[in-house]
Amino acid sequence: MDKLRNYVKELLESGEITGFLGLIDDGGHPIPHLFTKEHIDRLNDLVVPDFRYPMTDILLKIVRKYPESTIGVMVRGCDDRALIELAKNQKIMSDLIRPVGVACSKEMAESCRCSQPYPREIHYGEKVEGVQDRSDLEEVESMDLSGRLDYWMGQFSKCIKCYGCRNICSMCFCDQCTLEDETLVMTGQTPPEIPIFHLIRAFHMAGRCIDCGLCEEACPAHIPLRSLYRKVREDMANYLGYVTGKDEYEKDPLEFLGSEGYEVPSKIDET
Amino acid sequence: MSDVKESFEPKIIAFCCNWCSYAGADLAGSMRLKYPPNVLPIRVMCSGRISPHFILKAFQKGADGVLVTGCHYGDCHYIKGNYITKRRVTIMKDLLKFIGIDSRRLKADWVAGSEGDKWARVATEFTEEIRALGPSPLRG
Repeated sequence: MDKLRNYVKELLESGEITGFLGLIDDGGHPIPHLFTKEHIDRLNDLVVPDFRYPMTDILLKIVRKYPESTIGVMVRGCDDRALIELAKNQKIMSDLIRPVGVACSKEMAESCRCSQPYPREIHYGEKVEGVQDRSDLEEVESMDLSGRLDYWMGQFSKCIKCYGCRNICSMCFCDQCTLEDETLVMTGQTPPEIPIFHLIRAFHMAGRCIDCGLCEEACPAHIPLRSLYRKVREDMANYLGYVTGKDEYEKDPLEFLGSEGYEVPSKIDET
Repeated sequence: MSDVKESFEPKIIAFCCNWCSYAGADLAGSMRLKYPPNVLPIRVMCSGRISPHFILKAFQKGADGVLVTGCHYGDCHYIKGNYITKRRVTIMKDLLKFIGIDSRRLKADWVAGSEGDKWARVATEFTEEIRALGPSPLRG
């Protein structure tokens, strides 16, 4: 922990970064805090808690306010994937962001079912192997079509339209949200229209979702949203060989044709 | 029960691109070719314009099938719209299947402006396929 504090302190004092976004302990509750050179003593309160916080959401707000400053940010594996996607979508400039990596513990990786619980560069914690678990998808796939529809409609009908899944999502950075577009989904009423409300978000997550699972953690109705997004994520990998959060310079094949030009992958042509 | 099935008339939304498929559908009419009146064409400028959200909206509003048609590969007026469409439709079909809607209810096909006969054939075949599948489970 001291090593991490000293590393951040060095970055701040040398002027390499003007601010560092981390978490501090505030009466037992870790909350986000922007550390600066002027208040360097606050670094003593820097904590790495056993749960996740949507760091990139906060980072985006800071970057919008101070677009020319270099900002350090504490990232876990999922936050790091988010940074790659945000840079790809031109929401941040990656050379103005200095990620300070934290590797997740084995317990956290398992509870998150995380396939990559470590960032590109690790400054704190030990790297553990990811978990490959698609049991949630297999459970749905074992049902027949009408069983699946019953299952999902039952899940979707629990929705209270709190937009929690969208608000916590590090990939939901659009200025205008389709879920508030009255021509597509009925606005100003609860419960939402199902299944379109959830499917719009699900499709939008194709080529976007970094599989952090915060949506499912945030959902007060315990809708297994992550399985939906994992499904489209898996499809993108199977059909188009595209995995989000891997390479900043690889473009979303649903928006760009890419370097393979005009070929249609045979797997797709058969469908 | 069998009476219900016989009297079932599917509602099908067909998105057609302005440059090829809509012209193809138009030609089918000029050629006096018959195709089922269940198919409701909606003209858009390019098949790439068809947001996946339109497809979802059609199903939400009770469409039994959605047909997405565009130019043949290499013929797209905007050069690459139909390639993107094909990718999107593929992912969408899998998503529909995953939540329990038969993926055969969504189909992408390519019809050129000169293929009035192909348009009539595609529309007829798709209508018959949907008729055999029965009403959409989302139809309220």
